[in-house]
Amino acid sequence: MCDITAVLTVDLLAQVLDWLHDSRDLKSCRLVSRAFLQAERMHRRAIRALRLGPLPVLLRRYVGSLQSLDLSSCPSLDDSALSLSIPCPNNLRSVSLSRATGVTWRGLEVLASVCPRIEAIDISHCVGFGDREAAAVAKACWLKELRIDKCLNVTDVGLAKVAVGCSRLEKLGIKWCFEISDIGIDLLVKKCLELRELDISYLKVGNESLRSIASLSKLEDLALVGCEYIDDEGLYFLSNGNCSLQSIDISRCENVTSVGLTTLAEGQQRLRKINAGNCSPVLTSTFVSKLCTLGDTLIILKLDKLQLLASALEIVGKNCRNLLEIGLSKCNCVNDEGISWLVEGCTHLSTIDLTCCLLVTDKSLLSIATCCRGVKCLRLESCVLISEKGLDQIASCCTDLKEIDLTDCNVNDNALKCLSRCSELLVLKVGLCSGVSDIGLSFIGTNCSKLLELDLYRCTAITDDGLAAISNGCKRLKKLNLCYCNQISDTGLAHLQLEELSDLELRGMVRITSSGITAMAMGCRSLTQLDLKRCYSIDDAGMWALAQYTENLRQLTISYCTVTGLGLCHILGSLRCLQDVKMVHLSWVSIEGFELALRASCGKLKKVKLLGKLQDVLSSELLQTLQSRGCRIRWVNKPLVFKG
Amino acid sequence: MKQIIGEPGIDLSSDSKMDLKLTRNSESFHKPNSSNHNLNSFNQASQYFPNLSPTNFLSRAENLQQNLKTKSTNSFEPNLNSGMATQNPPLDWDPHAMLSNLSFLEQKIHEVQSLVQSIIDQQAEFSSRPSELATRQQLATADLTCIIIQLISTAGSLLPSIKNTLLSNNPALRQLVNPDFNNNLKCEGLIRNFPETARNSEYEDLLRNLDNEADWMKEPNPLPQSDIVDANPIDEHDLKESDDGDAEREHLPPGSYIVLQLEKEEILAPHTHFCVICGKGFKRDANLRMHMRGHGDEYKTPAALAKPSKEPGSDVHPVTRYSCPFVGCKRNKEHKKFQPLKTILCVKNHYKRSHCDKSYTCSRCHAKKFSVIADLKTHEKHCGRDKWQCSCGTTFSRKDKLFGHVALFQGHTPALPMDEVKASGSGQGNDDMTEDLGGYNGNFASEECLTSMDVKGIDESRAYFSPMNFDGFGALDEFGRGGFDLEDNPFAFIPSGFGQRSGDS
Repeated sequence: MCDITAVLTVDLLAQVLDWLHDSRDLKSCRLVSRAFLQAERMHRRAIRALRLGPLPVLLRRYVGSLQSLDLSSCPSLDDSALSLSIPCPNNLRSVSLSRATGVTWRGLEVLASVCPRIEAIDISHCVGFGDREAAAVAKACWLKELRIDKCLNVTDVGLAKVAVGCSRLEKLGIKWCFEISDIGIDLLVKKCLELRELDISYLKVGNESLRSIASLSKLEDLALVGCEYIDDEGLYFLSNGNCSLQSIDISRCENVTSVGLTTLAEGQQRLRKINAGNCSPVLTSTFVSKLCTLGDTLIILKLDKLQLLASALEIVGKNCRNLLEIGLSKCNCVNDEGISWLVEGCTHLSTIDLTCCLLVTDKSLLSIATCCRGVKCLRLESCVLISEKGLDQIASCCTDLKEIDLTDCNVNDNALKCLSRCSELLVLKVGLCSGVSDIGLSFIGTNCSKLLELDLYRCTAITDDGLAAISNGCKRLKKLNLCYCNQISDTGLAHLQLEELSDLELRGMVRITSSGITAMAMGCRSLTQLDLKRCYSIDDAGMWALAQYTENLRQLTISYCTVTGLGLCHILGSLRCLQDVKMVHLSWVSIEGFELALRASCGKLKKVKLLGKLQDVLSSELLQTLQSRGCRIRWVNKPLVFKG
Repeated sequence: MKQIIGEPGIDLSSDSKMDLKLTRNSESFHKPNSSNHNLNSFNQASQYFPNLSPTNFLSRAENLQQNLKTKSTNSFEPNLNSGMATQNPPLDWDPHAMLSNLSFLEQKIHEVQSLVQSIIDQQAEFSSRPSELATRQQLATADLTCIIIQLISTAGSLLPSIKNTLLSNNPALRQLVNPDFNNNLKCEGLIRNFPETARNSEYEDLLRNLDNEADWMKEPNPLPQSDIVDANPIDEHDLKESDDGDAEREHLPPGSYIVLQLEKEEILAPHTHFCVICGKGFKRDANLRMHMRGHGDEYKTPAALAKPSKEPGSDVHPVTRYSCPFVGCKRNKEHKKFQPLKTILCVKNHYKRSHCDKSYTCSRCHAKKFSVIADLKTHEKHCGRDKWQCSCGTTFSRKDKLFGHVALFQGHTPALPMDEVKASGSGQGNDDMTEDLGGYNGNFASEECLTSMDVKGIDESRAYFSPMNFDGFGALDEFGRGGFDLEDNPFAFIPSGFGQRSGDS
């Protein structure tokens, strides 16, 4: 038997591995031989840990080459676990601790000290983090990229720590850090002159911040989503500043009007991406005409919820010929004429968002089909006037279509039949289309084998057979939404044998029972998110099955199920990846049952949703322990109502 | 708006404290901008943005008109009389011309009033005929412009005369700038001012209003500020803030002024006015004169109680500046880059701050020392409130001051709040702090730090705000926050007495 490594040297193998992106393929490759394993080990740069247990071993194995470590989905990660799992001499450049609520500043200090070359840290969504944590991160002086989004307690002081400590920062995200003010931003700008990307979305900062930011000469990408205190004056500073922006996101800035946008377009002539959605709704023609001076450079333009006339779209179409993406969602005035003007000019468009453009009809689809043959993503949610005729045109011309959203468009099986010709389709959303039935799904199942995501929300005509057709045809599905498809029973669920399915929503499917769940769980081992809300017939047996088969389950909703304390204890105790559980109105679970179950899971859970009444009866010590381990408890006060 | 303009007048008349009144007046003259803030704090927006709405415009004009009318009838004439009784008043404006001006204004304002009223009344109709509305608005604007021009010309003719009246009423200025400075003559004018204060305050209100209007219209202030500064009796405490440094702004050519140098003993003497009978000392001449009443009826005559009037021939004064007796000091006339001190008070404060021991210690922190008691009081007001700390150990009462400091010095970072550090219970944080301290000690003494210090800026801005005198004046307090506090300046970490006066030694 000849040794394959004699022909295929390690570096050649590494080149082959460069082309493998799917984790499954890599796994198969690892399993070929020891030499392959060795090659894969040397080649691997990034690890995303799902569980804490094997992490130290893994890291030791990969320590030489590993550069990027993602611990964001690792449950029960705390300081000691973090410091134990990271080997001391390492080449780590990037660590993600997003949502790692169990970690404190001590862990971060250890991280900064043992990873001397670390360049990127992500601690976003650790809602309890504050200045102390920011100060710990600031010890990593070579940091180039930092995300502290939604670290709610970070104030100007924390930001100043980061600004002084990490003066080489190039990318910074401080979205939702509500405590940060103009003073902090000003200091940041003075200290971190290398900043290229900055996200200050939803901050309560004013125009003064923009005046400071405008002096950053290297800034290219700025996100200001939902900064309610910023208005046209701020944009004036930006347009006259030193920075040469390539991308700006000013969506949801309520006080920004067309005037500000116009000055911005005048001053920043290198803009490639503009998101001005949900600003002040009136858009003057001056802004649109200024946009044209950006002409060829502009590739992404989002104007959601602005009042856009056909003439404006005509100007855009005539001038911005390199546009790749346009967002016109909720632009009520957009009609077929406008769309046809637009697509005639912008023939390279690959993403068109027409969500809630109620005037759009098949004519628009026709013009899109004729002009933009390369379109990949089409969002047509709530475009009620379109029919299978238009979709037929799209399907026959735009063969490269990868994503289409037809939610609430009243399409029927014929439309699906047309769309099934797009064999490249990855995402299909036909929620709320009651005309979609098993026949339509069978077309999809037969032809769209690459489908990754399918949304059948409230497609009530679908039965077990339709689900069978999908399960048999679309083996690569990762995400499936079957909420309120209440004709589907256990038989249908048993067809779901999708190895890669990670996200399944079965809300309100009253016919399914634990046996269906068991069959499904055996087939879909990779499930990470499961929604079983209002599946009234699911009991402990279902929980046992989930605990046994879907060991990667991270997010689980079992509100209104008939599980008892025993089942709850078992599933919370045995699922090692479980982090987010919604368990409202579990009327069969006693207080002791909740108490025991929460104790069983303690340390892993990051988010729990419980009935408000339990707040008083659960032991305060338990709640304190949960919270100190970084778990957020959401108490809801909803009456118990059974819906069919 | 009306209320706001009226406010200082009410304050003054209701307040019986002489000091407060005078200081307040001097304050407003000292910095017309601040009085603007004070008076028009609600109207700031309209002040700074020229595109006023016509109604706003009108109300201002009206207001001013009323002011002019009432004041001119009630208070001008008695003052003229009193002025004539004492001195020859420089009556350089024609009351008839003024009256005709004012009645013209009144008429004009009524016209605009009815015009605007008609616009309001017919608003509904105009919505259908926008062009007509525009015409009406243009008319109103034109009329308003006319009013403003008329107002300014009227006010312009008024201001110098007020100034003159004021000067004649306050001979203290003349005394102060008199070359043959005499302690006993210093504040003689004060007593005579007592019965007139109510009237005076009214003028000053008016003057202030006019000032405001003038400022607001971007008219150059017809009152040279430096004159007015000295035109008021000065009390050591009231004006302790008017410090050295004023003269730097002036850029007086050397030789264009007389330099006086007081002796050390004279400067440090607690009292400058002494009773010839019992020997009791007073800080102010006015107080001495009040005291003298107890020594016999001859001291109770109006003539004895009156403020010593200025010499008739001393109208032309050479500009006088002061030199510090400390040889080697920048404020000493022998110094190569001599910078004169502007007033006696400047000399006193400068000498105490720069060349005397700091004998007053803060009773709260027991660390900060001062040589001028007013400085101590200012400090004590804020002491203990510093919650913003830098890694170098310096504390600040305001976040922006701390951040300004952090921005200025490499490697300094804001310290985390102490309770948080304690709660986390690790020595590591403290180690860092000492480490930081050690690392940047070198910077403290560096020449750059010291030369970059804007000593003047600090003192000046402090001079504009003395919290002692203006307790309860919210608007002024508000304004004061704009300036530096002594302990809040970005250089506060430099040991006091070292950096701060470095310019002098």
